[in-house]
Amino acid sequence: MNICVLIKQVPGSEAQFNVSGDGSWIQETELPYEMNESDNYALEEALQIREQKGAGEVVIVSLGPDRCQKVIREALAKGADRAIHINADAPYNTDPYSIASALANAVKDERFDLVLSGLQSDDLGFGQTGVILGEMLGMTTATLVVGTEVQEGKIKVKRELEAGWFQWQTMDLPASLAIQSGLNTPRYPSLKGIMTAKKKEIKKLNFVDICNVDELQSFAGLSVQHAEKQTEMIEGNIDQIVNRLVDVFKNEIRIN
Amino acid sequence: MDNFQFSSIEKIILTLSTLTCLGSFSYEVWRRFKIVLKGRESLPFDQFGKRCWRVVREVLFHEKVMSGRFWPGLMHGLVFWGFLVFGLITINHFATGFGVPLLSSSFHHAYSYFGIPFAILVLIGIIALAYRRFITRPKYLGKTSPTSGLVAVFIAILMLTYIFGEWDLSPLVWKINWWLHTSVILGFLWLVPRSKHLHLVLAPVNIFFKPFILPDHTPVEIDLEASEEELDNMLASLTKMTMNQALDVFSCVECGRCTEVCPANRGGGILDPKNHFMLDLRDPLMETGDVDVLAQLNVEAGWECTTCQACTDVCPVGNNVEKSDEIRRLEVLVEGKVPQEYQKLFNNLQESGNTEGAFSSPLADSLPRYNSEMEYVLWLGCFARYGLDPDFENSVRSFTKILDAAKVSYGVLEKEHCSGDPANRLGDKLTFSMLRGHNVKELGGAKKVVTLCPHCAVNLGSEYAKYGEINYKVEHHTQVIERLLNEDKIIVEKGEKGKVTFHDPCNLSRMMDEVDAPRKAITSVTNDFMELEESGRKTLCCGAGGGLWWKKETKGRTHLVRAEQVVESGADTVVTGCNFCYGMMKQGLGALTPDDRSAINVKDVADIVAENMITS
Ligand code: SF4
Ligand code: SF4
Repeated sequence: MNICVLIKQVPGSEAQFNVSGDGSWIQETELPYEMNESDNYALEEALQIREQKGAGEVVIVSLGPDRCQKVIREALAKGADRAIHINADAPYNTDPYSIASALANAVKDERFDLVLSGLQSDDLGFGQTGVILGEMLGMTTATLVVGTEVQEGKIKVKRELEAGWFQWQTMDLPASLAIQSGLNTPRYPSLKGIMTAKKKEIKKLNFVDICNVDELQSFAGLSVQHAEKQTEMIEGNIDQIVNRLVDVFKNEIRIN
Repeated sequence: MDNFQFSSIEKIILTLSTLTCLGSFSYEVWRRFKIVLKGRESLPFDQFGKRCWRVVREVLFHEKVMSGRFWPGLMHGLVFWGFLVFGLITINHFATGFGVPLLSSSFHHAYSYFGIPFAILVLIGIIALAYRRFITRPKYLGKTSPTSGLVAVFIAILMLTYIFGEWDLSPLVWKINWWLHTSVILGFLWLVPRSKHLHLVLAPVNIFFKPFILPDHTPVEIDLEASEEELDNMLASLTKMTMNQALDVFSCVECGRCTEVCPANRGGGILDPKNHFMLDLRDPLMETGDVDVLAQLNVEAGWECTTCQACTDVCPVGNNVEKSDEIRRLEVLVEGKVPQEYQKLFNNLQESGNTEGAFSSPLADSLPRYNSEMEYVLWLGCFARYGLDPDFENSVRSFTKILDAAKVSYGVLEKEHCSGDPANRLGDKLTFSMLRGHNVKELGGAKKVVTLCPHCAVNLGSEYAKYGEINYKVEHHTQVIERLLNEDKIIVEKGEKGKVTFHDPCNLSRMMDEVDAPRKAITSVTNDFMELEESGRKTLCCGAGGGLWWKKETKGRTHLVRAEQVVESGADTVVTGCNFCYGMMKQGLGALTPDDRSAINVKDVADIVAENMITS
């Protein structure tokens, strides 16, 4: 079973963001980066499926600037076999449709049975790339996947619905699945893995060479919301206090 | 007694049985030594005098045996000193059997004025010990072992037959008594190497070889440029015990002191160092006849350990009990099985050089920057630098206030990275070595480093030194404060109100062996100082050590036990000398203090001194 895992490098969840000077993106220098959380789970799922099946390849595909090498190496160290790195700087890495088409171009000659991606990226959170790519490659697609079970020519997936409901769905292969965090326990790269990863192949492509979308989505402006805390001391007798409280709940916080 | 003769038959029986028992004894001991000798590294003979003196203190004087468990320890002492007293008698006893007594009968008789009272003391000792083991049965002794009972009976018989033999007996009765005494000694020889009573032979040896540095985790040298074969060899070595560790396992007397003091165990965790870190290794060692057994340790137990070293420090036979480092390094470096919160922590350390994944520190920016004109590098550590408890910034400022008042120059490093304590203790030796490499370079020109964090102090000091020479000296801030007080560089008054107590941090007390400096500082500002029941090197861990500060969910109450003791002590203020202890105390005390009591203050030693400093 050959599996492709889409991996994105995103700013660490505790990082402090600043908007860049022209307001088109965030300042990227000095930010700590990490592997997108749900991608990490997708990778683990891929590695486990491959271990179960005992054969096949896990191939990492990542799109972004040079710094992405870090997460690619990390994925290879965890056990992926090889990687494709599509070099792209902002703003090329902000549009799910163009990203999906670049990815589709990059993997069109591969024969993947499965494409696993994280449910959404922790930075932009469009949650579309995996599905669009699946469509472009003519695969069946599913999102919010919290469990997989590979069968003959098919895959049974467990999807998370609203309000604690789950759905089991059997789909044809090849398939593209968007994986929800928490379905497995991701591993840590072992020292041996880190050493062998150095020798694994990373194929390099350029976004501009393989993307045939002319009009890219762009950001009109980016701003950081400032949440302000307001504290009001309510004074007076009990009736006045209760009245004011009810007023606040009803008209300011709007609790119905 | 000179007229008692032994027939040839008797001599033949005696010879055969003595040879058999001595042979079996030597064989069993040799079997174990052979395994020990397969271990990694070597047995140390450096600091020879110091080692010998330690054997005298801990073996002859029973220093550790009696500390903490005084009465049982003393009873054990009586039995042990009895062994020494009767050594000569025993040799003479066998020599008599072979017809060549060494002692004249008048000497033997004279010795009995000393020997008989001592035999009675030994009897008292062994009866008391047996009473404790079989009647009171303290929990930490574990399952009652039949061999302990047998040994108690043996010792009692030896003493009784000795006393009896000093009477005027008819030849027949004397002979029967003699043979009874002999068979018990031979039985002993048979039993000792096959049971925990082997500690009789091994404890002195083990105490001699015990390392001086705590914790004694062996360094893991990682060279990412090494060949595959070298890497494989390095990884394979991680499952092998060192000679010292293997010797420990055979020396263990199963007393359970290590488990009794273990904060993880006391907090309701599964970790039981006596079994998990010691006895679980005994069978694998004997069955495989090799030291390649560390992979068999209980992993879950290993992650619970706070690496506080209480177990190692309390062990009466000189064992380095703690094995969490061995377990964790295997899990991280070989298996890649790491709890998710620690993966996040390691990623932060790799990406930003600190535990929080932060890129700026307002506190560090507000302090003077170190230059080579200055006396001290003020090492902040991630806890203070990135506000793991935002209030701790005040403690740093208290300390700088003291340094300013004493006109001591200091500055912080712009590019200080985490000392590596969490990575080191959690087994990620690769991340640790990255951080170490960075910091050693940053500290290049420094001569003196002072820090409020004992975890940083231990890592920058003795841990880094395991990998290569360091050219600076690390001090804990309480040591600097003590010196400034002694030299009258700062003047304080005894102005502190309320009952004050001190919680000794594990890294400061056990690993840096510093218990006086903080006390000196605290007692210079208060008349109302009280010790906690478990204090000094016998302190109880706050629960944050060994990277457990970053552990998300804790099943047990390891993080609350110490705070509870502080509440029970009735102190108004608890002083600590460690930022992690400070954070743990603040988190724990608030919830545990009963409503009718006013909140217990948590202060660092620097706070309490700075608050009572007279500034001119
Ligand atoms: S390791 Fe030491 S303290 Fe623990 S049971 Fe054995 S002898 Fe006792
Ligand atoms: S180091 Fe501390 S926590 Fe770990 S086993 Fe020993 S006593 Fe228990």
